[in-house]
Amino acid sequence: MASSGAVPFWRAAGMTYITYSNICANLVRNCLKEPYKAESLSREKVHFALAKWVDGKPEKPTLRSDTPDH
Amino acid sequence: MAMAAVLRREGRRLTQPINALHSSLNSQDQAPHGARSISTQIVRNRMKSVKNIQKITKAMKMVAASKLRAVQSRTENSRGLWQPFTALLGDNPSVDVKKSVVVTISSDKGLCGGINSTSVKISRALQKLNSGPDKETKYVILGEKAKAQLVRDSKKDIELSLTELQKNPLNYTQVSVLADDILKNVEYDALRIVFNKFQSVVQFLPTVSTVLSPEVIEREAESGGQLGELDSYEIEGGETKSEILQNLSEFQFSCVMYNAVLENACSEQGARMSAMDSSSRNAGEMLDRLTLTYNRTRQASITTELIEIISGASALEG
Repeated sequence: MASSGAVPFWRAAGMTYITYSNICANLVRNCLKEPYKAESLSREKVHFALAKWVDGKPEKPTLRSDTPDH
Repeated sequence: MAMAAVLRREGRRLTQPINALHSSLNSQDQAPHGARSISTQIVRNRMKSVKNIQKITKAMKMVAASKLRAVQSRTENSRGLWQPFTALLGDNPSVDVKKSVVVTISSDKGLCGGINSTSVKISRALQKLNSGPDKETKYVILGEKAKAQLVRDSKKDIELSLTELQKNPLNYTQVSVLADDILKNVEYDALRIVFNKFQSVVQFLPTVSTVLSPEVIEREAESGGQLGELDSYEIEGGETKSEILQNLSEFQFSCVMYNAVLENACSEQGARMSAMDSSSRNAGEMLDRLTLTYNRTRQASITTELIEIISGASALEG
């Protein structure tokens, strides 16, 4: 549970609650002991391609890959 | 996807002999001089390719079955994530808002029956339902297959498309980053997520989950109705209600997306399994028919040859 003072800080930094909770989750994962730590960190891999569409045409897709703490 | 490529190649090989068969049947009268009977080579080739296709579809069925087992348990576990949100914020598919965003979830790969067409159909219906003079509805598309279908008639309404989700096994971090990207790139009053809910290996329910923006939640709560009970909750800490609601609706979206993506992946594997099962069976039936034709032709030509020999011999004797 975030303290009431912390809320504006991450929101002011342009983060959504999802980003904020992901950073927290990653911190917790890093606190695990070794066999579980490596396992849980290797499980959470990010990979997808995102393309914005302007006037009915896709722009060049950007690839988001392997940035678990982003 | 190597398997699909192999399958396509086999398919081409299969269509070629069919044409060859037709032409050879049509040109029977013009057979080259000296040809004694119809060649069984074409049927033999075709039997071979049908056998190969059957092997491939059987293998694909096995692969889908093992993938399904892995993803099914995670799907069932992820259902606990959205249920508290629905209990708290409700699910209001009929809410009337200005800006709707339809999030269509489909697969990247084909050969999985009709699940992608189903979610595209539901998305189109939702778009029609929610468009009016001062309302607009945009699409956010997950997966290649729905993109290919929606690009044909409503490419002006596509806002975002996301692909290559299933390179690694699906996990919450990935889906939450994805949900974050969607939230940052679209303006919405209500997000309507369309996916196939996994019921059993042969049954998938097209489902719509609605996630409202914090402002709309507040508006709905004030006007009473389904969200009227929201005011009876106490808020701890120094946050205001709108802050809490914003956090909640963001988190709700990522949880609902996680479940929806998993359910759809599960349905995809299930649908692929049953599709591959029926295509193996069809290939078996086709093989049986071809074998029958082949044997009959072979026997007929043997009989003809025997008759020729015997009649020739008796002509010499007589």
